[in-house]
Amino acid sequence: MKRIMKRLVGFTLSHSTAVFFVLILLWFGVQAPQFLQPESLANIIKQSSFIGIAALGMTVVLITGGIDLSVGSVMFLAPLIAGMAMRSFGLPVEAGFVVAMVVGAGLGGLNAFFIVVLRVVPFIVTLASLFVFRGFGTWLTSSTQFDFPERMRTFGLSNVLGIPTPILVFAVTAVAIHIMLRHTGAGRQIYAFGNDREAARKAGLAVELIEARAYIISSVCAAISGFVMISQIGRLDVGFGQGREFDVIAAAVLGGASLFGGVGTALGAVAGATLIQTAKLGLVFTGVNLYMQPIILGTVIFAAMVADGIRGRRLRDKLARTIRPLGSS
Amino acid sequence: MKRFRQISFGLALAASTVGFGSTASAANICFAFQDLETEFWVASHKAIVETLTEMGHSVIERNATEDVNRQLEQVRDCVAQGVDGIILIPQDGESAVTIVKEATSNDVPIVVFNRPPANNDNGVIVVADNAAIAETAAGFVLEQAIAAAPSDAKLHAVVIVGDLGDTNAIQRKKGFEAAVAKFPERFDVTEVASDWDAATALANLEAAVTAKPKIDAMFTSSDFLFPTIRSVLEPRGMWKKSGEEGHIPLAGLDGDATACKLIKEGYVDATGVQDLYFEAEASVNAIVKAIEAGETDPNEVIADPGFALTTANLAEREMDMWGCKLLAEGFLDN
Repeated sequence: MKRIMKRLVGFTLSHSTAVFFVLILLWFGVQAPQFLQPESLANIIKQSSFIGIAALGMTVVLITGGIDLSVGSVMFLAPLIAGMAMRSFGLPVEAGFVVAMVVGAGLGGLNAFFIVVLRVVPFIVTLASLFVFRGFGTWLTSSTQFDFPERMRTFGLSNVLGIPTPILVFAVTAVAIHIMLRHTGAGRQIYAFGNDREAARKAGLAVELIEARAYIISSVCAAISGFVMISQIGRLDVGFGQGREFDVIAAAVLGGASLFGGVGTALGAVAGATLIQTAKLGLVFTGVNLYMQPIILGTVIFAAMVADGIRGRRLRDKLARTIRPLGSS
Repeated sequence: MKRFRQISFGLALAASTVGFGSTASAANICFAFQDLETEFWVASHKAIVETLTEMGHSVIERNATEDVNRQLEQVRDCVAQGVDGIILIPQDGESAVTIVKEATSNDVPIVVFNRPPANNDNGVIVVADNAAIAETAAGFVLEQAIAAAPSDAKLHAVVIVGDLGDTNAIQRKKGFEAAVAKFPERFDVTEVASDWDAATALANLEAAVTAKPKIDAMFTSSDFLFPTIRSVLEPRGMWKKSGEEGHIPLAGLDGDATACKLIKEGYVDATGVQDLYFEAEASVNAIVKAIEAGETDPNEVIADPGFALTTANLAEREMDMWGCKLLAEGFLDN
């Protein structure tokens, strides 16, 4: 019995995010069975796409041991410039989407320039760009809301083969980041950099390029995330994206990314974002008191983080044992 | 723009007729506001700054961008610069108490615009009666829902609540609850948190509508969420004009240009209106009066009674609503 319990605890800790996800689904499903209906589950994934897409990019930055605090402002500024281009030049939504990505890459490049070339700490650079990007966007809009052409909403509310466009964009981005991290040299270099920057440099890797690439990917993901969310509403308010960097970081860390670098996966980011959104929407679904909702949500995230922390420590302990010479006492 | 200048001029003229506009010496007035993110705040900012400027006063503007600590520092900076008075739009009720005390303890009169401090012990507070306005607007759509349903039917109402740290949001929630209480046992209510954020409102409202798709009436605590509501209802075929089959009686609060447009189009049935120009005029008058009188800690609550613009009184009261004035000036033609 004791052995079974030990295995159960071990399994739970090894798959903490997945276990929490299933438990939350079951908990809310028991209270409101329609929470487990396909429409509700699809809605969870659709609403997870906003934070999830940005969390994918954030995961790449966290793997390098850095942080990107500017994602909330990029979510605001990149779609805004894309929307202005759409209105000024009559661009179709697809072209606007590309413009948002290009702007995102440019903003990420700006962060990368200060971090990689001028060697300023990422926290400071992205904290500054958080204010600069938002300030620039506020100036562009003169603090008024920006209404996108009607075709923007048509895009955001559309389906492809029955799959809502935001889910599709989320899936494509997740698969792209997963393939990049797991199956390409560029991805392996990001892990190598995050584990030991100096060792990576000595191994002949272009560490500056690796680090710069991570911040550009993060900003492009934030731009996509903002564009996809705005396409569902059709209007951009000046406060859009404000404070979202914390949700994004929470989703990435909940998905297993380490704030100290070297660890993290695309699937983890998807799981982290979906877990948070499942808990949030479950609380709405079951009509939990509004004052209790943030308390319960915070507790769930905290518990998941603690479980993940214990899992990480156990993993480190196991790895530490394996480096001892065999046969030693 | 022309219309706005006329209004501003009118405010300045009104001020001069009560005895302090033309005779007052130019004062240095600090205007500390929390952000300019909604139509209401943008229009309020414009009304206050232009009126003070046209009265010959100099205005030091400070935007806290939703950061309460920054706003406190900005007010301290204003005090250090020796301003004669402060007009404050605080981020929330709690921080407002601290900032008002900071000003009055330094003998600088302060007027709080629209968003009241958690207590009324210091300063002049100009505030709309959010609870009463919300009750009127919500009551209008609840009555519509009841009129359209069988007499014994249990109905479902949705309320989108603002940031629970904002006094105005709480008052609006209470106003909605008071409206529901007038019809005992008739409504099941679903509360949806928005945190004054469109993305949060979108996600939560989608979940609420998925959980209980039959909705008989809806009230949003701020008009700026109407585009979000549309994005949730439209794909489900629930975004209908008044008179069309499946129309959900819908009300908001603020009285912005979007609400005015949607009421005219028939998608929205009512909105509670804060009389922005009354509040701006009252704030400007109060600070100038305090400076003239040498009062360092004036303490008064000036209530804006507001009203509800509905499909029933649209023809008579349209131009009493600040959002309709902005709409007529082409505010939404960006």
